[in-house]
Amino acid sequence: MASIMVACSSNKKPIATDTATEVAGSEVDFKIEKSGAQLWGEVCNRCHIAPSPADYNDTDWETISLHMRVRANLTEEEITKIESFLKSAN
Amino acid sequence: MTLIILGLGSSALAQTYNTFEPSKTQFMLRGYGHTGFEYLDTGGEQESTFLGATFAPIFLYKHSDKLMFEAELEFELEGNELKTGLEYADVMYVLNKHMTVRAGKFLLPFGTFMERLHPAWINRLPSRPLGFGHDGIAPASDIGVELRGAFDLGGPKLNYAVYVTNGPRIKDGSEEPEEAGMLDFGYYEDVNLAKALGGRIGLLPLSDSSMEWGISAYTTNSTGAEDSDYKDVGAFLWALDLSYVKSITPLQGVVDIKAQYNSSNVDTATYYEIEDGISEPYSFDNQSSSFYTQLSYRPIMSGSDFMKQLEFVGRYSDFNAPEGAEWEEKSTQYAFGLNYWLSWRSVVKFSYQTTKMEGGHDSDGTTRTNGLFVHWAIGF
Repeated sequence: MASIMVACSSNKKPIATDTATEVAGSEVDFKIEKSGAQLWGEVCNRCHIAPSPADYNDTDWETISLHMRVRANLTEEEITKIESFLKSAN
Repeated sequence: MTLIILGLGSSALAQTYNTFEPSKTQFMLRGYGHTGFEYLDTGGEQESTFLGATFAPIFLYKHSDKLMFEAELEFELEGNELKTGLEYADVMYVLNKHMTVRAGKFLLPFGTFMERLHPAWINRLPSRPLGFGHDGIAPASDIGVELRGAFDLGGPKLNYAVYVTNGPRIKDGSEEPEEAGMLDFGYYEDVNLAKALGGRIGLLPLSDSSMEWGISAYTTNSTGAEDSDYKDVGAFLWALDLSYVKSITPLQGVVDIKAQYNSSNVDTATYYEIEDGISEPYSFDNQSSSFYTQLSYRPIMSGSDFMKQLEFVGRYSDFNAPEGAEWEEKSTQYAFGLNYWLSWRSVVKFSYQTTKMEGGHDSDGTTRTNGLFVHWAIGF
């Protein structure tokens, strides 16, 4: 039973909502930090309608995020926060 | 004994469950497709047709958090023939937080339309603006190496891309005399030792990233074959682009403005036309330009669920090909559309488009083409 519980708990990664904030916060203290949800609304809509988080699983969002980071030339902070939001809301 | 069986059973179950963990490498199949109906009236000559479906699968292979391969194929029915193409196929590596290197065949960041906006499920109208696509002056893709990245300037953001590619081939008129002097960006084999250099800088001055200004440049010293008369014919192209996307509460919706100006300057050269069996040399100032601006509005704050799915679009575009060329042309186009969004990546587009063309491929006079389009696009 214990091993089953370990397997279950290790399958879903914890939501890394704070990581990007810490990285960005240490670099630019004076600006108001935006949430992943805010950036999802602002950044994705520049080209296409912002995607529904529920449409893909965490693994897929990781792949799509790397693809979109390069395709749309996004900053590391933007894509990290957006990816975290999509994975937390799907 | 019972305990041993239970222990083995739970261990086996845990192993089975672990097979659902994501692998370190990931593969995805994405893409888009579209189909539709078109009615065209060109100077009184009418035609209508359902369009064969166009299908563009995109392959994404994520090897690690830094390394990825991406490729897009194109399948399109043109008449009775299935046309295939390779839109892009490149490998990319994130060097650091501000720089990524790409190599292979990639979409060129010359402005934003071809790189970001042309897929059918993103483009708000069924057609491309004048100056893009077949016989267009804006380069779409090429084979080479590119560095790109972005910086956060504490609110405003800056992004950049610089690349080296094989470059275009100039059409010398030997195969298609009516296109002599035109740059062929779809000819990917390198015909000479020279390479094309290009890049784009994008600035997002507002903290909400609603506005982006971009400037692009693209140059090459040689567009002709190494042993041809056109070896030293160079080219310089530049573009300006604008994007503004903002949710405006008094308008109860999202306003989306896009614009791009393209300019192409090719060195003057001598071409030949055959008249009555005699080869006659001619030359012209090989400068072309095109421009488009598009406004769309989605009333996403409307109280009606139906209205929320609608989008109203208008676009103006023009194209000026060199005076004196066999392909001399001055065209203007207006397009109006009404879209219904079934989801964030599936849209049914209804549009009317009217194009006035003076000249074009050695034809004289003015031609007006009116068209009605119904397209259905879906991304996946």
